[in-house]
Amino acid sequence: MNHALVNAPAARSWREIPQPVKARAMSNGGRWRLVMAGVRTAALTLLIGAFLWGAWLVLSALRDDAKHVPASAKTVPMKAPELQTMRDGVLDGTWLARTLELAPGVTLLELDLQKLRERVLSDRQVMTATLTRRFPDRLIVQVTERMPIARVRVAVGAVQQDLLVARDGVLFPGYGYDVAMLRTLPWLDGVVVARDGAAFQPIPHMAVVARLLADAQFSAPHLYHQWQSVSLSRLEADREIEITTKDGTKGLFTAKGSFFMQLARFDNIVDRLARQPDIRASIDLTLGREVPVTIERPDPLDPRAPAAAAGIKSLFPSSQSKNKREL
Amino acid sequence: MSSRTTFIGAVEIGTSKISVLVGEYTGRELAIIGRGECSSRGVIKGMVVDYKAASDSTHSALEQAEREAGERIDAVFLAQTGGHLEGFYNEASVNVKSSDNMIDPGDVRTVCDLAKSKELPAGRMVVHNIRRPYRVDGRLVPGSPENLVGQRLEVGYWNVHGQEQRLADNIHVIRGFNLEVRELVLSSLASGHMVTSPEERQHGVLAIDLGAGTTDFVLYRDGAPHTTGVVPVGGAHLTNDLSIGLRLTEGQAEKLKLRFGRANVQTKDKAQKVWLDGNFAIGDRQFPQQAIEQITSARVWEILEVVKRKLGSSFSPETCAAGVVLTGGTAKLTGIVDAAAKVFGVPAHLGEAPTWVNENTRDPGYHTALGLLYYGVSSHAERAAPARRGGGFLKGVKRLFANA
Repeated sequence: MNHALVNAPAARSWREIPQPVKARAMSNGGRWRLVMAGVRTAALTLLIGAFLWGAWLVLSALRDDAKHVPASAKTVPMKAPELQTMRDGVLDGTWLARTLELAPGVTLLELDLQKLRERVLSDRQVMTATLTRRFPDRLIVQVTERMPIARVRVAVGAVQQDLLVARDGVLFPGYGYDVAMLRTLPWLDGVVVARDGAAFQPIPHMAVVARLLADAQFSAPHLYHQWQSVSLSRLEADREIEITTKDGTKGLFTAKGSFFMQLARFDNIVDRLARQPDIRASIDLTLGREVPVTIERPDPLDPRAPAAAAGIKSLFPSSQSKNKREL
Repeated sequence: MSSRTTFIGAVEIGTSKISVLVGEYTGRELAIIGRGECSSRGVIKGMVVDYKAASDSTHSALEQAEREAGERIDAVFLAQTGGHLEGFYNEASVNVKSSDNMIDPGDVRTVCDLAKSKELPAGRMVVHNIRRPYRVDGRLVPGSPENLVGQRLEVGYWNVHGQEQRLADNIHVIRGFNLEVRELVLSSLASGHMVTSPEERQHGVLAIDLGAGTTDFVLYRDGAPHTTGVVPVGGAHLTNDLSIGLRLTEGQAEKLKLRFGRANVQTKDKAQKVWLDGNFAIGDRQFPQQAIEQITSARVWEILEVVKRKLGSSFSPETCAAGVVLTGGTAKLTGIVDAAAKVFGVPAHLGEAPTWVNENTRDPGYHTALGLLYYGVSSHAERAAPARRGGGFLKGVKRLFANA
């Protein structure tokens, strides 16, 4: 038979009969097929969605590639770089401009992001840095800053310099901090700071000190605000940290136990000693429940002088106890 | 048809049984990969009268076919039969527009639209527009008349239409299995396409599909379908006649029909009797064989006479040189070939599937489903091809979603 002889009907055809059917008119097999068709459609949609998402990611990656940037973008002068700080950072645009030292009228494509990043990271206040081009004319700098937990005074030759110490032991000059806040930070004592080129090597074991200071700051802020210095001289050997308050009282904490319990005992003893004016006490919290306290009465004729810094040395050496009395 | 592999289900919802074949169509080749069969319920004379029963049995056959094929059917080609189907002939002619009298596609389109534009009564819908060969200045043109030179172009269509509700019922049975009906094909066209050869169709042949509830026929002339029709009487009526005439249950009558029924009376001895079961069990009875033959032959002759009467002047022994081809379950009745030859006055023979058809699907019961697949695929492809050529980008995208 010649099939060309049978043509599609032009008048009202059976094809105009609506084919959608209600679920109640379906058999179980039909419903199952309907459900499976829905599942297949959903899977197909997900697959297409995933494909589009992947394509978008690839395009985004390519967009940042200078090779795929239109030529017009190469001539657009760059705007001032934008700084995005995380975790309550204090650095600002001025610092960024000073750090990057970009020439005026430079375009994005002329930037060497790797070098700029190294320049940003050279300031030890910056822990991480990400530099991103946003064509045609924006440079985004995202930084994570170090937070200072203590101060240290170091001598570089004849010059003394105050630096901040982060919880990872890194020393940095500090930019943009509130001076009043910095004054509340205790000084570090009993540490030897070594040079690392133009900077300094991190102070070891600072994580333990940071834990003690954090516990004190949040559990007993009235004690923490009285702490003037923290000595690390016995930390490496004995796992002990000695603090000195503004009124001369000393406390010896051990890193082997809970700082929280030691702080509670320290707080109790300090309260009891406050009833006796003009004394300096040394409180040893390293023995657990037994807490030896050495009472020292200052001799007005023999004023103590601060320890001299020999090379790079703390200005707050440990004091020697004179009169001892068990509390 | 898209170039990707499509799994097509050919479904024939018959009065006695429902046949399903699954074809794997790659765009160039069609392979039968599964079949399903189920006793039909809720269908009388080819029409759905009990939706639930018809759905259950159809879906059961579909599930069986899918299981055997191991694939999910994408779309269905559905056979259509029933007494509600009717046909009429309408023709149109146009004068060729161009000054050099060369026929262009616009002339062809216009004459075809005119020939198909006859309005139908309310509630009737077109199932097929079967075009007869073109004529250019009265000269028969078997193929396309484009670029031929002439003054007058004529064409005629055999328009088959059916009752909207009956068509919708059949479609909804398939939709209930969450399958789309992509093609609706007359049962007679499907089975006729399978049991007749192109040469027979060119010389003129009448294909009669004797089913249980209906008898479908198609007359081919000049290589194309000329007239189609449906007689709402089939083998089930033979059973019913025996049941009433010999006072038997339907099951007993069916058994007698299959064993002793004939399309002509051959038994001369009125006293010659046959056993109902033949196992000499209690309740087994004897019946006069001549009576059985008289009852069955009378009905068969009546059916064939009705077919001849419906064909009217379209049929003549001169225009049907290839004779009559019989198919369908009732065509297995002994002597029916002789009866057909006598009624139509032309040679008759039983239809057989082409030699390339697999042994499992050569049974006459599958001729319609087989024809559905082969006829449906080729006509669907031809119908889709011009649309694809004319589609723009948007249509292409739309088709992509439709196929998905």
